[in-house]
Amino acid sequence: MLKSNKTSVNNYLIKQLPKATAFVNLDLIVAHVSDKWIAQFGFVSDAVIGKSISELFQDPNTNWCDTLKNCLEEKQSTTVKENFIDLDGHIKKFEIHAIPWHDIHENVIGTILQIEDITEQEKIEAKYERLLFNSNQISKIAKVGFWDYDVAHNRVSWSKKTREIHEVDLNFEPTIENALEFYLQGHSRNKISMTLNRAISEKSSFREKVQIKTAKGNTIWVISSGEPRFKNGKFIGLSGTIQDVNELYLAEIKQKENQHLLRTLIDNLPLNVYIKDLESRKILVNKAEAQWCGAKNEGELLGKDDYQIYDKITAERSRKDDLIVMKDLQPILGREMFHIKQDGSSTTFLTSKIPLIDTDGHAYGLVGISMDISDLKQKELELRRLIKVSSSQNEKLINFAHIVSHNLRSHTANFSMLLSFLVQETTEEERQSVIKMLVDSSDNLLETINNLNEVVDINSNHGIQKKPIALKNKIQNVIQGLKAELVSHKVTVVNEVSNNIKINVVPAYIDSILNNFLTNAIKYRSVERDSYARLSVEKEDNFTILTIADNGLGIDLEKHGEKIFGMYKTFHNTPNSKGIGLYITKNQIEAMNGKVTVESKVNQGTTFKIYFNDED
Amino acid sequence: MMKINSICIIDDDPIVVFGIRKMLNSILTYDELHTYGNGKLALDGITEMVNSNQGPPDLIFLDINMPIMDGWQFLKEFIDIPIEHGVRINIITSSIDSYDQKNWELYKTKTHHTLTYNRKPLRKDDLIKMSKVA
Repeated sequence: MLKSNKTSVNNYLIKQLPKATAFVNLDLIVAHVSDKWIAQFGFVSDAVIGKSISELFQDPNTNWCDTLKNCLEEKQSTTVKENFIDLDGHIKKFEIHAIPWHDIHENVIGTILQIEDITEQEKIEAKYERLLFNSNQISKIAKVGFWDYDVAHNRVSWSKKTREIHEVDLNFEPTIENALEFYLQGHSRNKISMTLNRAISEKSSFREKVQIKTAKGNTIWVISSGEPRFKNGKFIGLSGTIQDVNELYLAEIKQKENQHLLRTLIDNLPLNVYIKDLESRKILVNKAEAQWCGAKNEGELLGKDDYQIYDKITAERSRKDDLIVMKDLQPILGREMFHIKQDGSSTTFLTSKIPLIDTDGHAYGLVGISMDISDLKQKELELRRLIKVSSSQNEKLINFAHIVSHNLRSHTANFSMLLSFLVQETTEEERQSVIKMLVDSSDNLLETINNLNEVVDINSNHGIQKKPIALKNKIQNVIQGLKAELVSHKVTVVNEVSNNIKINVVPAYIDSILNNFLTNAIKYRSVERDSYARLSVEKEDNFTILTIADNGLGIDLEKHGEKIFGMYKTFHNTPNSKGIGLYITKNQIEAMNGKVTVESKVNQGTTFKIYFNDED
Repeated sequence: MMKINSICIIDDDPIVVFGIRKMLNSILTYDELHTYGNGKLALDGITEMVNSNQGPPDLIFLDINMPIMDGWQFLKEFIDIPIEHGVRINIITSSIDSYDQKNWELYKTKTHHTLTYNRKPLRKDDLIKMSKVA
């Protein structure tokens, strides 16, 4: 009774234990159990006591029996973790403490099983570990370290990363004082001290980019941020982070420097530089380009295409080139381009267009570089003109030298030959004949020299003074002078030049020119028909063109073309043709910056066109 | 003394014609001597000689610078006249233009006739050499 009483008292006590507890005897049969234990596993209270453990936990995955046996054999407490699937199918985690159950004589009579549901705790632990891992990763990747200052204990604590940033080991004991000393003396340290004071007094958080000097003497940029903690209005501590932004910041500075360098470079190049997008809109221009386009600043040009800057033809051509460059991905290099702006002004550019290609190999725009070579171009034209003038003068000079040498040589050759005859000749008659020839030869030489002098005079441009004269009157005067010959050879001159035509000429030359052409018309008339010479005028560019057409003998220009204006070239068996007239005429016309052309058909007539230069 | 059948002098300068004729008279004998004042007259004359079975001249003295048809124009036409045997043509000129020299070199390759190039003034010794007909 007593014993049974005692058991029930025990039962009653155990039943109320705050922890889930079961007493299992040596046969692994449940002897006592707390209500908590029953509730924990969802058993029915009556059906537990007297049942064996293996009966209660039939899940093959559990090791209840092994745990109990182990505890009994070793006679010491063990702790294991077990999974248990409850009635609702949820997996629960338990921590089981198995303690040997002693009687009053210290004999082991079973096992006390104390069970704790650690499902929630495990979840929290897992979450905590994950968070810790994350925070470490973040700290590592972002180079962020944590720190904390506790006022009550006057203690500063640094995270591992914070120590790494300061380049101190785990033995270093940070304090407010030595922590501040890491900040670079001067701006950084002053700034951080002031910031901390303000954060505390104004209860605000802070974030500053400053420099620290690490324990190893490296100066680096960091972002130091933090927030004061208060309790009941009382300042109790500070916590915050320190981030190593040295590489980032230096890279940023470097990038800014590079950008600045690039900008300075392109702005100060004596070239127009621009970048266009796929639509040929300008997305970057340098100062020179902006200035040339007449924009007040670079921004004014951005987004504009060539149609808004140049005239239509220039813009169309430019756009066509852009498309080719961007489509074929082939640059245009150093091409001469003539640009006309909307205001009508023009520029010659030496232009290069280089496609901008993205990583996928597609063009996303182009870089244009243009050099204004208008001045060079002007000089080049001037130079070309001068070369033309000087080479034509040179050619004339060589021609003239040949003429001179040939004509003088032929006379001197005759002198030489005739004199050698004279020396050897014995008969007086022959001697007289040779002497006569010598005299003729001498006269011819004199005339030749006179002719040559005249040519030299014309070409040396001395005393050449052009004056405007009325062409019609001039022609009439010349006709008057030739009247006798014209009448006797029955040559009609038709002067179709109108009264108002004035030409700018050397008066002596125009007399000689008109006289020569009309004399030729008489000399080389055809006796087979009534002869005429017709004079008319037309305008072309900056020339007044006098056309003198006759219906005379004409000349085969295919045969003689280049020689017709040559010296001492004659083409007809006509007395008095010496081959000097046209040569001198041509020289006179050219000396007045004009020119002369000829068209002729044998036995039909000849047409000369004399170009008088109105400007030069 | 050398004997040559037929000689032509083509030059517009009567003094040169006189000189050549005078020197020729002292170094050789000939049956015929024709003189022409320009290339055109010479071409007409020689063409007629060839056509009339009289045959072409054996020796020609040819000036370059002449009116109406110059020496080169004459040569251009002359080498097209069908003449079997080679005629000796002595070009005589006072030109120092390299164009003429080159033209001579060009014509030499174009014809089977003997072509020489001589500068005035002419001496008797030159004429003796020029009169050696092949």
